[in-house]
Amino acid sequence: MTSSLPPSLADIVDFFDALPDDEKRENLIVYADQSSSCGPQASEVFDLEDVRKDEECTDKVGVFLRVDPVTRQSHFRVTLGPHVQTLTRAMTAILCKGLDGAKPETVLDVPQDFVPRIVGGQLVRLRSQTVYYILTRMKSVAKVWLNRERQQM
Amino acid sequence: MTSKFSAYAHPEALVDGPWLQAHLDDPTIRIVESNEDVLLYDTGHLPGAVQIDWRGDLQDNTERDYISPAGFSEVCARYGITPETTVVFYGDKSNWWAAYALWAFRLFGHTRVRLLDGGSAKWKAEGRPITREKSKPARTVYPVPAVRHDAEIRAFFDDTLAHSRSHQPLIDVRSPGEYRGEITHMPEYPQEGVLRGGHVPGARSVPWKLAANDDGTFKSFDELRAIYSESLGLKPGDDIIAYCRIGERSSHTWFVLTYLLGYSRVRNYDGSWTEWGNRVRAPIAKGEQPR
Repeated sequence: MTSSLPPSLADIVDFFDALPDDEKRENLIVYADQSSSCGPQASEVFDLEDVRKDEECTDKVGVFLRVDPVTRQSHFRVTLGPHVQTLTRAMTAILCKGLDGAKPETVLDVPQDFVPRIVGGQLVRLRSQTVYYILTRMKSVAKVWLNRERQQM
Repeated sequence: MTSKFSAYAHPEALVDGPWLQAHLDDPTIRIVESNEDVLLYDTGHLPGAVQIDWRGDLQDNTERDYISPAGFSEVCARYGITPETTVVFYGDKSNWWAAYALWAFRLFGHTRVRLLDGGSAKWKAEGRPITREKSKPARTVYPVPAVRHDAEIRAFFDDTLAHSRSHQPLIDVRSPGEYRGEITHMPEYPQEGVLRGGHVPGARSVPWKLAANDDGTFKSFDELRAIYSESLGLKPGDDIIAYCRIGERSSHTWFVLTYLLGYSRVRNYDGSWTEWGNRVRAPIAKGEQPR
């Protein structure tokens, strides 16, 4: 059931959901390789930047958000420190692609139960829980943006 | 052999990058990567290395226990290992999981085991060869071990409780905050389901990290002796139990004590704090070290 997800993310989830575990792994590596290009580009300007090292993650993570003032479509960029685990890097690339263009309130409403459908049963374990961390950080920035928008109204 | 290795009690238990690179095609060796990062092997590993997963391959995934001797035989056969094969383990996190896998192999009596000093991070930092091609060794026959040697190198809750009550050496290798009971998770890690914080009464805090250099290699024999023999006061013949949260960091310390310093009676309490901290009426101490 992917109807509550933004369309791009729903497509990715449906794609992974149909794969056997071995192919999930291969495609997660492809996404993990793409995570290095998820960071801000030289000329980009953002509404919000949140770069920090939290206790529950092994390295520093930066989340950057720009929301189009007319369409209210959000565009995320994420930077990851070198010690961030591969699965988290893969999820970062998936979320940057899957949430691109979604409205901030849509991002805030994304449920996290799609994650096991992407990573599969073999890879879900306690110490892989930081795959949820990136989504939490993105939601946190979206919430701040929405609060600011309300204050300016 | 390097002069650093030659000072250790069992220098044959360690290999370094140049040695392993020269033995990548040695048919008597099987290189095994074992990681915390579940996809790290897929992003690039030593040529010819296979991956053994601490949970998927070595643990019984119904009961909280290790696989049976028959299960171990199957794992070895699948990865091209025979009783005569020298297994060289390496991995991430300064070899936590590599040491854990090595310890698990010892549970089944496989004594031809070695660690790559510094693990995968040092190998990659030195620019040594890496591949994404998965190794598919020919299947072997590994006779089912007659026993699992739990009694020799593995401690259970009751063993650890008895150790605590009789004031025998207990080493808590977790971070100081976990030991003192201030936090119930490892720094930089999610909560792993422990209800109480603190340490086993009488346990001394010696974080695993004290045994490792910043590049993940082991400290020298003299440095290790200063930590464990001089400061902690461990004596030859001591019956020692080490623990952490789930047994991987204490595997690292178990390796140090057993192979690098030569203590002959060291056990790893793999139930560790995730068992002790949840156990009804298990005695718990909080705060600083006992005097």
